[in-house]
Amino acid sequence: MASDPQMIASQRVVEDLASRLRRRQVVGSRQSALETLLVLRQVVSRARFSNVEQLVELIRSVGRRLVDAQPKEHSVGNTVRKVLHHIREEYRTATEGTAPTPAVTFSIAKFVSQGQPRRHMAAPRSDATSVPLKENDPDDPDSFARTLKPVLMEAIQDVFDELETVYDNISKNAKDHIHSDEIILTLGKSRTVESFLKAAAHHRNYTVIVAETAPSYGGREMAKSLSSAGISTFLVPDSSIYALMSRVNKVILGAHAILANGGMFAISGSLLTATAARAYSTPVVVCAGQFKLTPLWNLYHEYGALDFGDPSAVLGFEEGDLVDKVDVVNPHYDYVQPELLATFITNYGDHPPSSIYRLLKETYDDEDNEL
Amino acid sequence: MPPKFSTGKEKLLGDEDEVLQAVVLADSFNKRFRPLTTRKPRCLLPICNAPLLDWTFESLALAGVQEIFVICRSHSEQVKNAIAYGFFLLFSAEKTYTFASESRWSKPGSGIKIVPIMTAKETFSPGDAMRDIYTRGLVTGDFVLVMGDLVSNVKIDEVVKAHKERRKTNKDAIMTMVVKESGSKHRTRPTGNSSIFVIDPETSECLYYDAVIGYPPKTVANVPREILAEHPEVEIRNDLLDCSIDVCSVEVPSLFQDNFDYLDIRRDFVHGVLTSDLLMKNIYCYVAKEGYAARVQDTKSYQSISKDIISRWTFPLVPDNNHPGGEVYEHRQGNKYIARDGSVVLARTSRIGNNCLIGPSTQVSDDAQIISSVIGRNCVIGAGTLIDNSYVFDGTTIGPGCIVQQSIIGSGVNIRENTRISKGSLVADEVVVGPNAVLEPFQKLSKKRADGDDEDIDSEEEDLEFDEELIKAKLGTDSNAIIWPRDPPDEDEDEEGIENYKNQRFMRLGDDVADLAYSDEGSLSSDEDTDLSDSDSDSDMYPGTLPTSSTTSLTLESSVVAASDAVAVSEFQAEVTQSLERAFAEGHSVDNAAVELKTLRMASNVPLLRVREAVIAAIVEKIEIVEGGGIPQRQEIAKVINRWGPLIDKIGGVDAVETVTLLQSHCAKSKRLPLFPQILVALYQADIVEEVDMRKWHANPASKGEGVAPGPMKDGLRKCWDVGAAILEQLNQQESDSEEESG
Repeated sequence: MASDPQMIASQRVVEDLASRLRRRQVVGSRQSALETLLVLRQVVSRARFSNVEQLVELIRSVGRRLVDAQPKEHSVGNTVRKVLHHIREEYRTATEGTAPTPAVTFSIAKFVSQGQPRRHMAAPRSDATSVPLKENDPDDPDSFARTLKPVLMEAIQDVFDELETVYDNISKNAKDHIHSDEIILTLGKSRTVESFLKAAAHHRNYTVIVAETAPSYGGREMAKSLSSAGISTFLVPDSSIYALMSRVNKVILGAHAILANGGMFAISGSLLTATAARAYSTPVVVCAGQFKLTPLWNLYHEYGALDFGDPSAVLGFEEGDLVDKVDVVNPHYDYVQPELLATFITNYGDHPPSSIYRLLKETYDDEDNEL
Repeated sequence: MPPKFSTGKEKLLGDEDEVLQAVVLADSFNKRFRPLTTRKPRCLLPICNAPLLDWTFESLALAGVQEIFVICRSHSEQVKNAIAYGFFLLFSAEKTYTFASESRWSKPGSGIKIVPIMTAKETFSPGDAMRDIYTRGLVTGDFVLVMGDLVSNVKIDEVVKAHKERRKTNKDAIMTMVVKESGSKHRTRPTGNSSIFVIDPETSECLYYDAVIGYPPKTVANVPREILAEHPEVEIRNDLLDCSIDVCSVEVPSLFQDNFDYLDIRRDFVHGVLTSDLLMKNIYCYVAKEGYAARVQDTKSYQSISKDIISRWTFPLVPDNNHPGGEVYEHRQGNKYIARDGSVVLARTSRIGNNCLIGPSTQVSDDAQIISSVIGRNCVIGAGTLIDNSYVFDGTTIGPGCIVQQSIIGSGVNIRENTRISKGSLVADEVVVGPNAVLEPFQKLSKKRADGDDEDIDSEEEDLEFDEELIKAKLGTDSNAIIWPRDPPDEDEDEEGIENYKNQRFMRLGDDVADLAYSDEGSLSSDEDTDLSDSDSDSDMYPGTLPTSSTTSLTLESSVVAASDAVAVSEFQAEVTQSLERAFAEGHSVDNAAVELKTLRMASNVPLLRVREAVIAAIVEKIEIVEGGGIPQRQEIAKVINRWGPLIDKIGGVDAVETVTLLQSHCAKSKRLPLFPQILVALYQADIVEEVDMRKWHANPASKGEGVAPGPMKDGLRKCWDVGAAILEQLNQQESDSEEESG
């Protein structure tokens, strides 16, 4: 495989992203998802294959490589799964000559949500292409790839567009969730939550309380950004979350990964907030893009999944004497159980934690759960 | 949307504009890790189950370095093979190396080019290595200089950026050192080898550097007076951890080439450049606020850096993420790392304490206990064995009932049952110890050499004598080891400076040095002289024009050396006069004359003030006294000053106040006293002396002649001062006139 110069080139792209993921030079779910898509696009455009299994295996191997490089960035694997799902769909369309009719399959996403984006609206494309697909053609092994590639690129482009518009689609229904004169509590800096709140501010007049979210203090940035958008904002220390909870109408959180059981990983402090919210029966709403849907459910058994950072944010390196005597842990994430959450707002509509498994089944193919 | 797509590609291409180079000195040039390093270079010793050099490469890769030159000396073949074929093969217990796979660094996707450079065996110091870099012409621009034992996550690219920015305005800023703030008692801070940095907090220029060793205790640090005089605010810091990451300009290797006596980068080069007036180069410090960087320079720092890695200070360079050895570890509660591939066998009754790392395919038997230790690959830990704060390399077997405390056990070692390895022991590769042996603390063992096995033998190893019977008695019947001498060498043989035995104890694993008084604990005001203070006696022996700064807590020696140097000074003055006369007579250029004076000054080691004094005296004497004064006299003065005046500022350092003071004191005792006002005016017109300087001089009570015994000297000084007052008056008037005119 490595003898092919094109393969080496795409291999290099993969290695480059893998090492950047490994060194945490690419951080953030959306950023990682975008970078993964770029790599997949290059790999597919350069790949040589004569049947769909080869292509799927190639993408899976790239995906494995990237996921192994940074197993804690779930959006990488999710993006690969999503692309595989789209490729299979396109392939089925091309071979059978008929577009799968989405209306036939029962979709809980449709059942629950009203404002869901219609993603299967595109007319059956491959009907136009009268050239029959020939797999494993011994005379012209490239013919399969040649015919299918434009459709594949389009499929990847679809995933890409979805990522591009993810914030807009999530915040589209913001005004249905936030009502006038409500007090919203949020945590840390999440782009999704930020755009959601700002979108709601066009229609409603409400107050946001932002917790500082030590030790990253993303809340400070968030508060600045929200108040500059004209939203009445309070910045409070994390210690006062519980005390303020009685006055809060709704807690809105961002997520790092949504798990199949309806739980989620989110910035540390989320568990504290969600637990406090439960004590006052305040609904906890999670805003997250579809690329955060992760077909895993037992991650919370794993201690390391919380992604422990370096202790310097908690205990300064210059505190020489203490460093030797104190073990400091600085987890990036909290695992929040599904029982503590009310709703997930995604670009596929709104879902209760209990139906996330169904959404996952629709989004990804079962055989890709293990890359 | 489409433009977004191309950003990724552009980023890749944009990096190629300027390749960031790094030079890794992969040799330690000392013997602190012996006997572990007798058959293996230090940079290939594993720390947290990955070779040191790999951690260094990863640290550099994090910082965006694209080209790395590795300078290797001892066991250079091994280093070269490790870079080309991957490290882990070298550590497999069997000696047959099968170079089947490539190392991750030689893969095309790694994005880094690593070039091993073999240097001659005669390279004995980092200085020699730098000279080798110069002769080979390896570096083409600013480069990062690190040691092959660095573990860091500091964003070196930011330091490089700051360095380049500085170079734009100041061509003499040749180097930026990365230092890290640590408390005075930090585990990673080397007590045996720390340093004093004198830093200007505003520009972060390093003004002075001095090395501190643990023993003999250093109680006095000499900071040159000029530094305190020139900078309104200085920080004298002893709490900085020297990361040994230097961003160097391309002329640094050539400076090493020019100064062939520079051996150590810190003690000789930095100290030398900062104290030299000839070089006129500046070195800056970058106090890293974020990030971690430290060097494994001795067994003690080996331990502390292992602990730092395990407690994740080096994030994202931690075992469960981006492990340089390419292994995957599972992070468990309490910072325990267990290899993830499922090959580790932990018996149900075994206990793994906090802060442990256990490599793949290792077996831990029943009732074994492991506390804050690192266990390599393919190790077997016997039943009921206790391993406490120890570092066990790959393929080692430790039998049942053993106790290993604060020690480093090499790879392929076999420790038989019921053996006790006490703190501070180093057991080299493939040694067999036991059964039932008891090692005393700080024992060093290595394998007996088989005949004909003569690859890379350390010369000192051959000198070791051993008595077979004694070893059998001490180390057990199956042992194949020899014991390295442990006691301090004879007093007269002891090396001076950093490598002396007692100082080495500060760098030794497990040694708490309770019985030695050392630098950090001793009071600063002790009157004991140190053996390091041989430098810079020149800087503070002469009473300057400014009062001694009382803000520094460091005692400055003075007057002790002054008497002994008096003879040398008078000789020097005679030579300066001669040299200047020659220059006047033969009409040298000012630059040439200045170089000659600097050389003279270096040769006789006198303070700058003396040179200035001699130059001013010579210039004043050069002025011929024209009968009748008036305009011809003024022309004569202007001629001399315009021709030779600039020399005053070229001899090193500009200090106009001092110039005026010296001129005054010279005129006061010379017959050219009447010429003082005209010379002063001439200097003013030639821009050698500014009005501000004259005012400063004038305000100084010493210029009025205070403190000088009454006599012709005092009268002369007084006269000059009055004249100066008159000139200042005039200047004031002119100023107010011009102001009125303009107003």
